[in-house]
Amino acid sequence: MTAPIASSATAAATAPVLAVHGVAKAFSSGPPWHRRRVAVLRGASLEVLPGELVGLVGENGSGKSTLMQVIVGLLARDGGSVSRPGRLGYCPQQPLLWEKLTVAEHFDLFAQAYRLDDQRAAASRDGLLDELRFGRYLGYRVEELSGGTRQKLNLALALLHEPQLLLLDEPYAGFDWETYLRFWEMAERRRADGMGILIVSHLLAEHERLTRIYELRDGRCVAL
Amino acid sequence: MSRTVAFAREQLRAPFTLALLIAIPALFVVSAAGVLSEFAGALGGSLAGDASVALSAGWAAAFISGALGFFQAASSRDADRRLALAGLGPVRVAASRIVASVLLSVVAAAAAFAALELRIDVAHPLHAAVAVLAFALLYLAIGVLVGSVIRAPLEGSLLVVFVFLLDAFAGPGMSGSPPAWAVSQKAADILIDAGTGIGSPTGDWVRLAIVTAGALAAAFCVFVAAARSRA
Repeated sequence: MTAPIASSATAAATAPVLAVHGVAKAFSSGPPWHRRRVAVLRGASLEVLPGELVGLVGENGSGKSTLMQVIVGLLARDGGSVSRPGRLGYCPQQPLLWEKLTVAEHFDLFAQAYRLDDQRAAASRDGLLDELRFGRYLGYRVEELSGGTRQKLNLALALLHEPQLLLLDEPYAGFDWETYLRFWEMAERRRADGMGILIVSHLLAEHERLTRIYELRDGRCVAL
Repeated sequence: MSRTVAFAREQLRAPFTLALLIAIPALFVVSAAGVLSEFAGALGGSLAGDASVALSAGWAAAFISGALGFFQAASSRDADRRLALAGLGPVRVAASRIVASVLLSVVAAAAAFAALELRIDVAHPLHAAVAVLAFALLYLAIGVLVGSVIRAPLEGSLLVVFVFLLDAFAGPGMSGSPPAWAVSQKAADILIDAGTGIGSPTGDWVRLAIVTAGALAAAFCVFVAAARSRA
């Protein structure tokens, strides 16, 4: 394994863009008369500084996506604290898209959500379409796209507003090799611009590109 | 592009949705009036003739709107939550989603009312049109409410149909006096009266407005709650 690169001096001197401390989360399962609580997160803590590309790995079912959803705000936590910026980009594991809407309509809706003006939205959209090379699908409905192109759209929507913190949950599933490499180049460019990035995967082969790696083990994050 | 237009367009692009919005209410009015009368007779009710045809238009609009509301809310839930989380907020997403559904329910109600007008000479067409729309909006609200809570298509659609059947068989003209929980009771009263040439008292209209607005408000609140963080 190649050693992770060190944080830059600038990054180290800045406050974390993401600070997760002691997050706990349990789920209930079974019928009401035989309810069981299954603890998935038992005090998970991690930090991401501006300009860092941090990895979070773990076995299947270790709670990576649960932690990601707690950070994003999709799941309520049972305990602990999460501090994150307002300008957040989230790329979920499953592309959460509307099957009958076109790629262009998705960009329009998210530009409204991010409160981007028309000029900035168009510039950002065109840049991402070019970067990920799927501009020719702008007028296609999601139901007409391949899995890889859906994933490109999923990623592009998270980046449209140039977030301070980017959360990526298994972001390259379905990418071909060329797109996979381009994805890492994109991530590194944004890290160099000061974006904090947390990438979750059950398999992270690109250790040398990462500032730091955590493993989620028994509901806690262990720095590797 | 407004969000409401995008959400309405999303539904209209589904194969057969527009056709079903028009065809199901029309077919229901043509074929179901006789069946409603027979059921009413078996249950000891008095529903028959023009009253039965008029009521079938309401149930037609209710059925398609309930299904539409459920599938709008359930099938788009995850993407809607993502959009809310991205900065739009659950309130604005809920408002856009429900207004888009209302637009489609108006189409279904218009189709049902047009079929009713073709089938019988409605004595109070404006009253009938408003009552059919109220049926559509009430069941749209029920569909959205169920779809916000239950994601599974089978369980959710069965629940909407179950409410529909209970309400239909307990409603005016079908049995003795309708129970208080029969949500479409006032809409049915007004529709039956309109079909048979009787005007409805102001109190019925007020109660219909309260029940319809309350149902839509409840659907809105449940949708917003479902779009927030889950426990």
